[in-house]
Amino acid sequence: MTDPVTGRSESKPEPAVGLLTWLGRLRRLPPGALIGGCILLVYLFVALTGRFWAPYSPTKTGTGPPFAPPSREHLLGTDQLGRDVFSRVVHGTDEVLLLSLTSTLIAMLAGGLLGLLSGFLGGWFDELLMRLFDVMISIPLLVLALLVIAAAGPELSGNYFLLIGVIALVYTPRIARMVRAVAMDLVTREFVTAARTRGESAWSIAVRELLPNATGVLLVEFGVRAGYAPILIGSLGFLGFGARPPTPEWGLMISENRVAIVTAPVTVLAPAAALALLVIGLNSFTDGIARLLGRSAQRSP
Amino acid sequence: MLAKLLVRRLLLGALTLLAISLVVFLTAEVLPGDIAARVLGRESTEQARQAFRERLNLDRPVQERYWLWIQGVVRGDFGQALTNDREVADIIAPRLRNTLVIGGVAFALYIPVTIVLASVAAIYRDRAPDALISVLTLIGLSVPEFVSGTVLLIVFAVIFPVFPVMSLLDQAETPLEALRTLALPAITLTTIMAVYAIRMLRDNLIEVLDSEYVRMATLKGLPRIRVILRHALPNAVVPALNVTALNLAYLIGGVVLVERVFSYPGLGSLLVDSILLRDVPVIEAVALLVSAIYVFANLFADAMAIVLNPRLRTR
Amino acid sequence: MAPAEGPGTPSALIEVDGLSVDYWTQDRWVNVVDSVTFSIAPGEAFGLVGESGCGKTTTAYGMLAYRRANSRIRQGQVRFGGKDLLKLADKDLQGIRGRQISIVPQNPTTALSPGIRVGSQVVETLRAHRWGAGPHERRQRALDLFRRVSLPAPDQIFEKYPHQLSGGQQQRVVIALALACDPQLVLLDEPTTGLDVTTQAQILNLLSVLRVEYNLAMLYVTHNLGVVAQICDRIGVMYAGRLVEVAPKRELFYRPRHAYTQGLIASVPRISTPSRRQALLLLGLLRRSELPAGCAFSPRCEFVEPACRVEKQHLEPVGAGHTVACRRWREVPAFAERLASHRQSLGAESEAGPVVASAPLLTVRDLQAAYTSQRTGLARSRKPNAVVAGLSFEIRASETYALVGESGSGKTTVARAISGLLPYVSGLLELEGGHDLLSPIAGRSQELLRSLQFVFQNPDASLNPRQRVTRIVGRPLEVFFRASGKELHRQVEQLLEDVQLDTGFGRRFPDELSGGERQRVALARALAASPSLLLCDEILSALDVSVQANILRLLVDLQSRRRIAYLFISHDLATVRSLAHHVGVLYAGTLCEKGTVDEVFSPPFHPYTDLLLSSVPEADPDQVMPALRSDVGLSAESRQSACPFAARCPWSLGEVCRRDDPPWRPVTETHAVHCHLPLDQLNNLHAVSRTTTPDPSS
Repeated sequence: MTDPVTGRSESKPEPAVGLLTWLGRLRRLPPGALIGGCILLVYLFVALTGRFWAPYSPTKTGTGPPFAPPSREHLLGTDQLGRDVFSRVVHGTDEVLLLSLTSTLIAMLAGGLLGLLSGFLGGWFDELLMRLFDVMISIPLLVLALLVIAAAGPELSGNYFLLIGVIALVYTPRIARMVRAVAMDLVTREFVTAARTRGESAWSIAVRELLPNATGVLLVEFGVRAGYAPILIGSLGFLGFGARPPTPEWGLMISENRVAIVTAPVTVLAPAAALALLVIGLNSFTDGIARLLGRSAQRSP
Repeated sequence: MLAKLLVRRLLLGALTLLAISLVVFLTAEVLPGDIAARVLGRESTEQARQAFRERLNLDRPVQERYWLWIQGVVRGDFGQALTNDREVADIIAPRLRNTLVIGGVAFALYIPVTIVLASVAAIYRDRAPDALISVLTLIGLSVPEFVSGTVLLIVFAVIFPVFPVMSLLDQAETPLEALRTLALPAITLTTIMAVYAIRMLRDNLIEVLDSEYVRMATLKGLPRIRVILRHALPNAVVPALNVTALNLAYLIGGVVLVERVFSYPGLGSLLVDSILLRDVPVIEAVALLVSAIYVFANLFADAMAIVLNPRLRTR
Repeated sequence: MAPAEGPGTPSALIEVDGLSVDYWTQDRWVNVVDSVTFSIAPGEAFGLVGESGCGKTTTAYGMLAYRRANSRIRQGQVRFGGKDLLKLADKDLQGIRGRQISIVPQNPTTALSPGIRVGSQVVETLRAHRWGAGPHERRQRALDLFRRVSLPAPDQIFEKYPHQLSGGQQQRVVIALALACDPQLVLLDEPTTGLDVTTQAQILNLLSVLRVEYNLAMLYVTHNLGVVAQICDRIGVMYAGRLVEVAPKRELFYRPRHAYTQGLIASVPRISTPSRRQALLLLGLLRRSELPAGCAFSPRCEFVEPACRVEKQHLEPVGAGHTVACRRWREVPAFAERLASHRQSLGAESEAGPVVASAPLLTVRDLQAAYTSQRTGLARSRKPNAVVAGLSFEIRASETYALVGESGSGKTTVARAISGLLPYVSGLLELEGGHDLLSPIAGRSQELLRSLQFVFQNPDASLNPRQRVTRIVGRPLEVFFRASGKELHRQVEQLLEDVQLDTGFGRRFPDELSGGERQRVALARALAASPSLLLCDEILSALDVSVQANILRLLVDLQSRRRIAYLFISHDLATVRSLAHHVGVLYAGTLCEKGTVDEVFSPPFHPYTDLLLSSVPEADPDQVMPALRSDVGLSAESRQSACPFAARCPWSLGEVCRRDDPPWRPVTETHAVHCHLPLDQLNNLHAVSRTTTPDPSS
């Protein structure tokens, strides 16, 4: 970072922020973060409470004529089996959120731990792990996910644990690589050397000195990955490898109703909009937080 | 010096590919357990399964099978498809060609779009054009390709029937028709790659424009054009290359989805179909091929980076 | 004849009139340069000095009408050749930049385009300004320029990329660039920062010669008063964006009238007039958030009146060519007077000298240290790539031992070896009481770890940005003394007080502190362990001069009160002169000379010591810098020859020096020189004497 006044811009580490300064800055949040945050809150609300106020059961067929246009009884119309689209969209929310957040969290933990260990310990452990991860990263995300799902076999199709596992699996190497880079950079800082000269243990240094300085990066990375997870889930659902019908999964809904796209576009557009809006919310919130922390939210595959 | 670096990269790429082949093989053939039961179904008899196993050498040990497969791959022989007994290589070839065509078109569109938009965003940083591009790219990367593709399909193939609903390239008679079938899926694919690349390139360009040597060039009295072309751009190109190579991952993933949306007969739809049909040799072949493309694209970008960056070339 | 300041000066080459520049930070405009007015005559060297953040660099770039992203030139004129540069169109500016006015920026490495050969970078400037009839002529001109800036083998250098050249060579290329089109004025922004002292001396020499030869006018921006004392005719002092004083060189150094200038000059340590208790006339800090509407210096000024805070100050004439921006300049005592009264108030220079104990605190014999090793032939053992070899010295309790050397000399390596951070260390390394320091950290006892503490160079990186000061300083107390709770707090407060930090600092984060404050916190943290030896690795280098002076004083105080020994590593000879008791001069990993500080700084000298001392520009306008032999820097060959300095030594005895290890020639009980040359020859090596220069108070 360049000090605007002195123009010094060398290896000055990015200054971290005290809590009060942090809170004060909330007022000056970039508008994107505020909008994104609001969107997320709405989705969270729907996910948690949707089942209580959605007008119909998402799997109940024949609640109305098939492909009925939007009306008072069916806010977004019905699909080909007469199921209420609005209720289905609402019910799909908690699954997407749950799957996205859980899988990303697991990946963050696994990738974070492995990356930290790898960066800190170095040696053959680091070499081996990174080679393995490099290979996994060299297989494009979706292809790897499909491979694993194929390996799991048809009986497990639509199984939530499988989906969570697959996403966590494809994310872990990427997150690990990033955390490792951060760890290796932090380790060279002199306050870490100072701790070493005090004879502090590797664990103590990792937790006390390194971790607080990595939280910003980790937060942004979480945001970026969590923002892509719904797309991944939706893609798998769209291709038919995600949840099984009659689960109200958005990707699946888009795929199912594609045939009637001309006659009843709402059946496709509704889940599409729901998915897009969620991701927009996640991404814009992450971008805003990143800007606040003085970083850029780079998204590399 | 240069040759040594390049050769080393090449070897690394080959090794990575070997490792990938191992991963693919293990995931496709070893993990699922009893492939015979998987493919033939639960109702199949033990006899049928045994015959199946023999046909596919499934009773041989894993290492041998892997070795046989690899040997075949190197020779271009990917085995026979399970579903129709054709040579996998024959099935793949036309699909590969189609995917390369659409990938190529998307790529050709992607380069000017990215450069122009990223440059505009960098030059007008923090002002209206930059903010607008930022919002557009945010929306662009938030909307999944199967959604955007579907919407494009509705609008431009159904409501205003400019383009065909199904992009069946093989049935196109003239180049113009071919272009018509390619247009929508290509545009969708371009968008996927471009939205990520525009953001990254913008940041890189800003960094270069702010650099001390660009400042120095300006203060030497060089005309602005020369400063940009000779001092700024070359240094922004290299990271842009790497960005592009990385973004191919998005392109490949996107291809799978977009081919489905537009019913385009390419590798992506082949992969999905073969998974649904549990056609193991085809799955392996496509996965390996696709990864190979990715690995070598990145290798190429690496090599270009070395060639273009004198710091890496000389000592 | 120095022209008077002010608009419309007829003989001026360039006139800066009321220049004001703002920067945009986060959410508002911050003023960085405020109504700066001065002029430079043809062929005159004008120095612009000040500490970090004073706006001198921005002023220099502003003179070329350069607007950084997110900055604006709020008002002002820069009159050159009858035109106001700030109002010129880009096309016209291009014609002036690089041709009539050129600039030598601070960092040559980043100033040169990484992907273009340096020769081409010079040629393109020539071509842009239509110099020369064709490519051949331009190439010749470039080679000529390279020769003129003393670059060896110009035709080889022509083809090289910037990263293939050393720092000194890069800077010469940049200077050649600046001279390419025979400019009338050259702006230099700290051109020797980041270069070694000896390289700096060569560049300064070069600049003086070139200036005379080409009759160049120069604007020399720097924080180093020693440099301006050597090179400049007139000097302007900036503080917080304003020019506070402008005067001819001798006037400024001997009769400064602004309280800030006086404080600044007093802060600069001298080799020739050393004092362990320097007059500290400049206290406090520049806090941008608390700048008053009037005089920016008023919060720190001893002579402030209420009106000072409100009224903006303007440069008023004080004498011939001497102006000051202070309404009370008549009431501010003369510099000499202030120095004298300050010394009086300090009383006798009473500080506890080193404890002349029988056993030394730290013993080092034949120390060899390396970061990496390589296989020796087929042997299974590895030979360390020694960075430091054959080092022997001792430190006594409560004493300061300085290790002096340039970059690459291995001084940091020594500190790291002693702390146990290096993998390959051999020899004898012992702390009093028989504690063996050869073992790495893992093998050391708590007691040992506690007695040896490290303070680092970079105050930004040595404190954990996510921890408050209390936590940072308290950690050693937790680790070594198991302190906690109220007791811990009390001790931390005491420590903060010891380093002269208000206890309110405890709750702050490092990013809320200035560089000097951070370094004090680092000191407090080190002291928390109650060490007997403090390893200070270039701890002052990143700080402003006035801050350095304050911290130096603090170090001296702490030493006498707590009886700590310091291993003080530095490249700054003047500071070492003020602080240390004993000195070791390090070159390429071996000691050249060692002794008490008085002994080492006076003849007989080791040739390298002589070179070092001759290279340091003193903040003394009457000092004449000797002409140095232009030569190569530290190179790989130096490690091959027995005496590493042989390749650069003007008095080298040839084969002897390369082949045989030089002997240690004792001069006194404490002073010895590591050289083949006999002592009487070493005694007469150099004409420049470092004895006392005329006292400014007389």
